[in-house]
Amino acid sequence: MTDEALVTNRNSDTPSTDRTDVFLAITVTALCANLWRFFMAYIECRNLTRTYTKASTTITPLDGLDLDIEEGSFVALMGPSGSGKTTLLNLIAGIDSPTSGSLMMGAVDVGKLSRSKLALWRSVNIGYIFQLYNLVPVLTAYENVELPLLLRNLSAKDRHKKVAAALELVGIDDRHDHFPRQLSGGQEQRVAIARAIVTDPKIIVADEPTGDLDRASAAEILSLLQQINVELGRTLIMVTHDPKTTKYAGRILHLDKGRLLELESSTASAPGIHP
Amino acid sequence: MPGLKFLPLVLKYLVRHRGRSLLSLGGVATAMFLFCSVQAMQQGVREATVRNANDTKLVVYRQDRYCPFTSNLPQNYEARIAKIPGVKSVVPVKVAVSNCRTGLDVVTFRGIPSDSFDLGSFSHAQITDGSVESWKRRSDAALLGERVAARRGLKVGDRAEIGGITIYVAGIMRSPEPQDQNVGYTHLDFIQRAGDNRAGIVTQFNVTVTDPGQLEATAKAIDDEFRTAQEPTTTWSEKNFVARATSDILEIITFARWLGWGCVVGVFALVFNAIVLSVQDRIKDHAIMQTLGYTNGLVARLIIAESMMISLAGGFLGVLAGVGVMSWGSFSLSVEGLSINIHAGWATVLFGLFLSAVTGILAGLVPAWQASRREIAACFRAV
Ligand SMILES: Nc1ncnc2c1ncn2[C@@H]1O[C@H](COP(=O)(O)OP(=O)(O)OP(=O)(O)O)[C@@H](O)[C@H]1O
Ligand SMILES: [Mg+2]
Repeated sequence: MTDEALVTNRNSDTPSTDRTDVFLAITVTALCANLWRFFMAYIECRNLTRTYTKASTTITPLDGLDLDIEEGSFVALMGPSGSGKTTLLNLIAGIDSPTSGSLMMGAVDVGKLSRSKLALWRSVNIGYIFQLYNLVPVLTAYENVELPLLLRNLSAKDRHKKVAAALELVGIDDRHDHFPRQLSGGQEQRVAIARAIVTDPKIIVADEPTGDLDRASAAEILSLLQQINVELGRTLIMVTHDPKTTKYAGRILHLDKGRLLELESSTASAPGIHP
Repeated sequence: MPGLKFLPLVLKYLVRHRGRSLLSLGGVATAMFLFCSVQAMQQGVREATVRNANDTKLVVYRQDRYCPFTSNLPQNYEARIAKIPGVKSVVPVKVAVSNCRTGLDVVTFRGIPSDSFDLGSFSHAQITDGSVESWKRRSDAALLGERVAARRGLKVGDRAEIGGITIYVAGIMRSPEPQDQNVGYTHLDFIQRAGDNRAGIVTQFNVTVTDPGQLEATAKAIDDEFRTAQEPTTTWSEKNFVARATSDILEIITFARWLGWGCVVGVFALVFNAIVLSVQDRIKDHAIMQTLGYTNGLVARLIIAESMMISLAGGFLGVLAGVGVMSWGSFSLSVEGLSINIHAGWATVLFGLFLSAVTGILAGLVPAWQASRREIAACFRAV
């Protein structure tokens, strides 16, 4: 797998086909198949299993899970504590690797990438929002948002533009110079969201993003996430315990003992993007 | 190494635990100061005792005598030595020492005949202040080596009493020769009177040969000349003469080399400890960075850069202080009228800095490797 393929798997120009050129025809077919798959399901888990072995005990938080998630959808992931929600999220985000089964993200089999390739893939495709914000304490709000951009080949000026835009989008452009400890929980989470979206990732995962916030801040954060899903067209996968928060999502999945149960589809998300 | 745009990140982690970083820095600086001092002594030893191919200097001493107070030779040997083939110049020298102990501030007086003083026999010497003429005019005049003058704060025109001998400073002399830096050249008869008052007796003859390749042969020819005389001689190359006379102290200085390397090990331990502690504090930060797409290699390099910066910053301060003190103090270790000039130059500075950087990098390797191997997801659960 080349780095370029990691960075983008959407091939926008379709080469003109020459009927006599069998090779080209095959190429186009393969391309179309890829495009088709791309539109049908961006994330494709097949028989996805994650086990942890410690001493003689083996825990299997994910057990042969099959799941398709379309690009642009807003999925809420529910389930009792210990049901494997975070485990699934971590696999999708590429910060953990499956024990067996396949995890296709677009044309990339994420489970088979080397550690450094996976890091590169994450930097382009994933934005991760944590329950406890996980901002870097020694960095200001601005620097936290800039952190993922340092990996890009961008001038300081271009970085500044992107960071400013992201902070403005989440509505805390007046707190650039504040350190995480000087911000409220809701503000910290906004900074974390800005950090997750600043690189324009395809997929944003959020693990109980409102779990530590009061009702009002939670509602604000959820509308913000919904806005990112609808207006920016990002795929959003959110773990939540609160049934009320699921009204923002287009699709609700229920995990129990490592197995999946689809509950319902709501209509809150952008029409046409999700099923 | 990571790109420059990551520098602020590394610095922020360094100032995060200001107290701890400063302590590490201070420790590294102290150790590197010691290392530099030891290096400076080693350098002085090399300069004073290691012969090079261009050496043309011989010292004629009384046979079986090893100290300036017991080596007594008739001054009239001068003419006989001068006739030996290969000898370019001979200077009879009476040595008096301001203090007969071994110390850092001993001044050696060398009395030489005023008519024989000619800068030609001081091959690379130059008078930076005062003049040879004014030295010749006054019987109590002294030409001071730059080191003595700097250490004692003496300038031309001063009168000074050093070890019971009162001299008038007629000039300051700069010389690359180690044995010319820590001396005062006076008139031979002046020092003969000031010392044990024995006219016609000198301590040694300083001989210059025409051809460096003939150093050994000329030495042998001189000793042969006086083999049957009442006062037989032993002739050494100047560097060998110094090495022999200072051999006790050389042993100590050679041993001090281990002290220097011990300091480097100390730097390693200090930086290693600082980095291990600081990396343990931010397992989660590293997991966050990796989640954002930082490769484990980049995280490792950031840690190594941090380690190198502590070590290099501390090393910089230590080396600077070391070289500063050495240059300002102009110390010379003197034994029996011979000097080992403690000397810290650019080579010491560069070597010290290089060593600090390398030690820092090595100290960061293991913590960096450990941090980069951690499973990302597990780090979030652990904290
Ligand atoms: N590194 C690990 N080693 C051993 N067991 C683990 C590890 N990580 C997770 N588990 C186990 O896997 C199971 C699923 O954990 P996971 O964090 O995915 O649950 P969850 O659904 O996110 O729970 P919660 O709602 O409480 O966050 C748990 O039983 C947990 O103890
Ligand atoms: Mg969880």
